[in-house]
Amino acid sequence: MNWDLLATYTPMYADALWVVVQLGFWGVFGSLILGALVALVRHWKVPVVDRIAGGYIEVARNTPSMVQLYFLYFGLPLIGVKASGFACAIAGLTFLGGAYMAEAIRSGLEAVREGQYRAAASLGLSQTQTMRLVVLPQALAVALPAITANVIFLIKETSIVSIIAVVDLMALTQNLIGMFYTSNEAYLMLVISYLVLLLPVSIGLRALERRFRRGIA
Amino acid sequence: MSKVKAHPNIQLLIPVVALLSLLLSSCSLGETPAETSQSAASGSEIASSAAGSLDEIREKGTLTIGVFRDLAPFGSVGSDGEYQGYDVYFGDQLGEDLGVKVDYVGLDAQGRVPALTGDKVDLVLANFAITEERAQQVDFSLPYMKASQALISPEDALITDVSQLEGKTLIVTRGTSQQTWFTKNYPQIEQAVYQTQSDAYAALKDGRGDALAQSNLDELAWARQNPGFRVGIEGIGEPTLVAAAVKKGNTTLLDWVNEEITTNLPDNFFHDAYAATLEDVYGEDANPDEIVVERGTID
Repeated sequence: MNWDLLATYTPMYADALWVVVQLGFWGVFGSLILGALVALVRHWKVPVVDRIAGGYIEVARNTPSMVQLYFLYFGLPLIGVKASGFACAIAGLTFLGGAYMAEAIRSGLEAVREGQYRAAASLGLSQTQTMRLVVLPQALAVALPAITANVIFLIKETSIVSIIAVVDLMALTQNLIGMFYTSNEAYLMLVISYLVLLLPVSIGLRALERRFRRGIA
Repeated sequence: MSKVKAHPNIQLLIPVVALLSLLLSSCSLGETPAETSQSAASGSEIASSAAGSLDEIREKGTLTIGVFRDLAPFGSVGSDGEYQGYDVYFGDQLGEDLGVKVDYVGLDAQGRVPALTGDKVDLVLANFAITEERAQQVDFSLPYMKASQALISPEDALITDVSQLEGKTLIVTRGTSQQTWFTKNYPQIEQAVYQTQSDAYAALKDGRGDALAQSNLDELAWARQNPGFRVGIEGIGEPTLVAAAVKKGNTTLLDWVNEEITTNLPDNFFHDAYAATLEDVYGEDANPDEIVVERGTID
């Protein structure tokens, strides 16, 4: 192990970590919004759109994410749609994550029993109030463990963006090894960088889950 | 409360990190044995028993050679599913002279060194340019081809000098000598790095960079099939010498390959290889005498 090299590599890994943070943040953000929309459409069984949403979930979950990225990056330019690697990466993560988030949120919505709606109605709550005060808090409490698992999954999934020339932690590691064959140093930095990012996220999300469950109970 | 719970996990982390990174560095990224009939036949055997001395290879009856999977006309999988190209022509001859079957394993640029250090192949014949960094990892034979680094770019925005790339994006393939050379000598030029040769060229076509750095021979071949692109500058840096490579310390195999090159191959073998694999591709655009290296001697 060459310790001087680790010092040289640290700023490079900091840059790449920042790329992963941005990808992870926007990917999770986009997935939550898309996922919530798709979940509501499915929950309410909106005609036609419901079928489309169902098809989307199947496609997103049953095709490799690498193929999805290739399609966005190399496929779309063929029909004149060209976005940067970074934009494709976020779009890809949103596409993939949206389907998983939708299923998580839908499972929460469906866990709220019919009686809750009737009870809310008998209290004279409007439909919006029912949703906001009664259904959503309970649905989220049920869905949260699945949502947090998806968040961690999406952050880790960013590691495939090296195939479309985005320099994340994985791409940087492969570049350093490919050029200088310093595998020990590069892999150590890689593992440390992911842990530095994912451990706090994971601990924070677990705390969030606990708090949410207490708040409900 | 949550802090107390996290503690034992955190203490476990250090040995886990150490172990994980050790495991990672002992395996290798980027090497992908192609799933064609040729290599599928040996399957798991490749992983366990390749990279032998000359005697072991003879005993086994198989010489496992790592070649490019997507770099026509040097090493690629043809429409019949068989490997073909200049490097493969040489590999076939080596197998014949050794009296063994040849098993080709498809590699990408980045997988060439790990394929040898990780005992996945006995020999690499994959447009493998001799560089200082690589020579510390593997042992190179005498050269059998020479090339130079070149830039290919769209004709309507032709790059004819490296300095024109300042502030622009250069496309390279991960693990090529061009990636290393430009990173060392022109760190200020932004690079877009792709995993495979085909991805890099697709990116050039899509206008994701202003030029692509590769060997002049490879670019020339590609340019002939892709009108609108031209090799704007060749001979960047020192000429590159292409050689066979074996695992460090595998002297019996290395010596044998060198002996093949210096004495045992038929006269003008690499001119024949050129005629069989490269001539149709380059036509008038190239002079074989400037490309092939016979008997390991550069004049």
